[in-house]
Amino acid sequence: MFAYTLTRLVYLALVLAVMSVLIFLVTQAMPGDVASMIAGQFASKEVVDAIAVKLGLDQPLIVQYGHWAAGILRGDLGRSLVLEQPIGPILMEALARSLVLAVVALFVVAVVGIGLGVLAAVRRGKLTDQLVSGVSYLGIAVPDFFWAIVLVLVFGSYMKLLPTGGYAPIADGFLPWASHLVLPVITLVLMLLARIARLTRSSMIDVLQTNYVKFARAKGMPESVVILRHALKNALLPTITVLAIDFGLILGGVVVIETIFSYPGMGRLLLFAIQRHDLPLIQATILIVSAAYCLANLTADLLYAFVNPKIRHGMRAS
Amino acid sequence: MMTAPQARPAVPPVVSPATAPEPAPLLDVRGLTISYGNARGTLRAASDVSFAIRPGEVMGLVGESGSGKSTVAMAILDLLGGGGRVDSGEILFDGVDLRRLSPSERRALRGDRIAAVFQDPFTSLNPALTVGHQIAEPLIQHKGLSPRQAAARVQDLLAEVGIRDPRRVAAAYPHELSGGMQQRALIATALGCEPKLLILDEPTTALDVTVEARIIDLLAKLCDSHRLSALFVSHNLGIVNRICQTVTVLYGGVVVETGATGRVLSRPAHPYAKGLVAALPRITAERRHRLPSIPGTVAKLSGAPAACVFAPRCPFAEETCRSQPQAMLTDGGGDGVRCWKADALAGTPWPDEDAGKARGPKAAQPRSAPLVEVDHLRKIYGASRSILPWLRRAGTVAVEDVSFTVGRGEVVGVVGESGSGKSTIGRALLALTEPSAGTVTFDGADLTEQVRRGDQTLRRRAQLVFQNSAASLNPRKTVGAAMDRPLVLAGRADAEERRKTVASLLTRVGLPAAYADRYPHELSGGERQRVNIARALATDPDFVVCDEAVSALDVSVQANILNLLAELRDEMGLSYLFITHDIAVVSHIADRVLVVYGGTICEEGPIGRVLRPPYHPYTEALLSAVPRLAEDGQEAPRILLEDAAPAPGGRGCVFAGRCPRKLGTVCDEQAPPVHETADGHRIVCHIPLATLAERAAVFPELADGDTRH
Repeated sequence: MFAYTLTRLVYLALVLAVMSVLIFLVTQAMPGDVASMIAGQFASKEVVDAIAVKLGLDQPLIVQYGHWAAGILRGDLGRSLVLEQPIGPILMEALARSLVLAVVALFVVAVVGIGLGVLAAVRRGKLTDQLVSGVSYLGIAVPDFFWAIVLVLVFGSYMKLLPTGGYAPIADGFLPWASHLVLPVITLVLMLLARIARLTRSSMIDVLQTNYVKFARAKGMPESVVILRHALKNALLPTITVLAIDFGLILGGVVVIETIFSYPGMGRLLLFAIQRHDLPLIQATILIVSAAYCLANLTADLLYAFVNPKIRHGMRAS
Repeated sequence: MMTAPQARPAVPPVVSPATAPEPAPLLDVRGLTISYGNARGTLRAASDVSFAIRPGEVMGLVGESGSGKSTVAMAILDLLGGGGRVDSGEILFDGVDLRRLSPSERRALRGDRIAAVFQDPFTSLNPALTVGHQIAEPLIQHKGLSPRQAAARVQDLLAEVGIRDPRRVAAAYPHELSGGMQQRALIATALGCEPKLLILDEPTTALDVTVEARIIDLLAKLCDSHRLSALFVSHNLGIVNRICQTVTVLYGGVVVETGATGRVLSRPAHPYAKGLVAALPRITAERRHRLPSIPGTVAKLSGAPAACVFAPRCPFAEETCRSQPQAMLTDGGGDGVRCWKADALAGTPWPDEDAGKARGPKAAQPRSAPLVEVDHLRKIYGASRSILPWLRRAGTVAVEDVSFTVGRGEVVGVVGESGSGKSTIGRALLALTEPSAGTVTFDGADLTEQVRRGDQTLRRRAQLVFQNSAASLNPRKTVGAAMDRPLVLAGRADAEERRKTVASLLTRVGLPAAYADRYPHELSGGERQRVNIARALATDPDFVVCDEAVSALDVSVQANILNLLAELRDEMGLSYLFITHDIAVVSHIADRVLVVYGGTICEEGPIGRVLRPPYHPYTEALLSAVPRLAEDGQEAPRILLEDAAPAPGGRGCVFAGRCPRKLGTVCDEQAPPVHETADGHRIVCHIPLATLAERAAVFPELADGDTRH
């Protein structure tokens, strides 16, 4: 298990190294010149060149990359050109807010989605099953911004129950903090629920047909034990994978939802950086998003081992 | 409608000499009718099935797949899935009709007083829970034991089913145990609450013969010591003969014969039972013999039978059979047969297709130019080199230094347990896996080298038939399309000509040409295997690897396919590598046999020589594990091998860990020498050939039956 985790961490470092090169090259290829942007529209060529020298932009690409990468390894993500602040704290703040959104939304999706999936599998072909499929499909078939707007209109504008957007730090008290999360979380849940429920349902149906479930029944186990202890644990593997991908997705920023609810997460930060052509901020944000994805996947694989002893065994052997 | 049981007129009532009253049966099934229904209609899986099992009695329920035997077993457990329901009848357990109990009352009986063991131990244990936990569950559920008490009882139970290391096994997950150990754990689970009735649904079918022999031995002992009654569902008459006192034969969901095991298997009265007994592959040294088979497929009924269910496949059928349902004819001794001609047919055997067309043994092939030559083949799986030091692995040796040849028109059998490396040998011969060392030469050319260069011509001349006939065919392609593909790959451009080839191939394997338009799910298992054989023949190969090609089939169908393979060899001069775990099957088709163990050949030679002493100790154990019918002669004392032990890491004999005749440390430390005789018989063993030759033959009847060598 330790060796396995170590191996995965080595691969993770490799992936991020390759990503950093790609990110750096892609942002270099973006139109516009950083130095002239900073200098402003009417600056003379000398001023622009001086800024370029100051930022090291006159040096070969590989040297520029070296500086950037070395900075990251030291924990220095650079300075934002537009905000004129160190990027580290800005990014961490946005990441923390996205993390809150991701954890809460994923928790709700996991509990509700797996629950509905199991229910639909057990009552396969009956009304409950069709109802679960139908309702969850409604969530996935209608675009997320539609639900977001409907929710804002109903709960914010008409009923005035919940804030329509923004974010309140938990330091302001639990209720304000939670009330800002409700609508974005519901929107995310509607978006992600169908896939989790359908996936859980189909793998649960497969597992319910296995011999070990039949044998558990032949032992006289009550149906609740058969389903929860014998079947569910084995049926969860694909669901875990998808939940991990979803986690990375929210962490990396759900631009549309964050924009509608003016939620200051990673999505809005990235959008801001791109609109304002803030190259160091773009680079740092994308790199952190990549790292978040990789870590979410690693977590999923380690969870696999927790659920499935056979995989755990394989890891021990490696 | 089924008619009520009548007295069998031709047999005078038997007066039982014992005056003691017959004990009330523990399980009394009366008139059980079960059907499966869905939108497309209903299928009658069991019609008016009646039988009784007395306390302490083991009853075999036999028949081909589709005969309804598992359905009956599941109905007793109230575990009929997939739209199955009991339409009528009674299931009396200890005098109580189970059908009158509520679902929760029946659940409370399951695992407590009625316990079950199913076919496939590899999938019957939950991979996510420890073995001990799974054995403890019913104890906690039914007996109210605390988890701690249950854990202690689990150790006792595991020890009772012959597991030497109960503590380790209880803490293990299923994948860490061998198949035999898993099946023992399942038996321990079933015994936990001290049930009165065991439902055993093909409990050894998925196991190796050597393991099967031990499990059957264990079950027989347990039934005896616990005075257990059991319903033993099986398609294997040899196993039934070993463990069951009585036997009930099902066909098309109808009981066609019932009686004492010895009588039914030695003097079957119903034509179907005669056919089943005749089709059983027996050890034989006479390769030329065609196995009797039962033509056609199992009847599928949608309602009560309107005629004899077996009539369409019965060689003795008359007009009456096709127009009138048959009544059960019983005599006073508890024997019954559902055939009005039973008495007239007494003593008439199942027709032998070979009668009158016995062919002399084929002239021995000159062994000068072998078609396939395997030289020092070695295959290691899972070896990996990596820049990360903790990822480097030496791998597992699947095949260790194997050399042999297959001559033109020759059938070489490869016999061994699962994990012996026999399938890897087959795959290497088709260049489906690259040897780690050694060479495979096909018709003088290095196969591996040719395939590596991208030359597929040799591959076309060597084909493969797998065990699982359904999984080998794409469910979305018609039979014709599946067979067309190899022809296209072989460069046959003309579609019309290809269609003709497909039709002639289907005819060649005994199927109607119209089958080209059918999908695999519309065919029976035997028919699908014929399609697989036809597809393998499409590229006009010289060599076919049959990897357990008949193992998944019912005996009646198995005989059919073996006969087909034998015919194809005779007419087309094909060579086969016939891989199987069943040495009896090999004896019907192979010219020479390789007995493999742990990736090495421990004995090889002409079939007649391998079946007679001197034996390699492993061959002897394999032969003694073959289940047999009483009429085939006295059963030799069985040699029960230990459950698979890890092969020693050193240079000793790989079989040393399980060998019942192990000499001592020499077996562990030194590679065994090869004893070779003039007729190509080789035994790799430390025991001197003269000592090996002193052993009595497992099959004395073969001692002088072989005249070919």
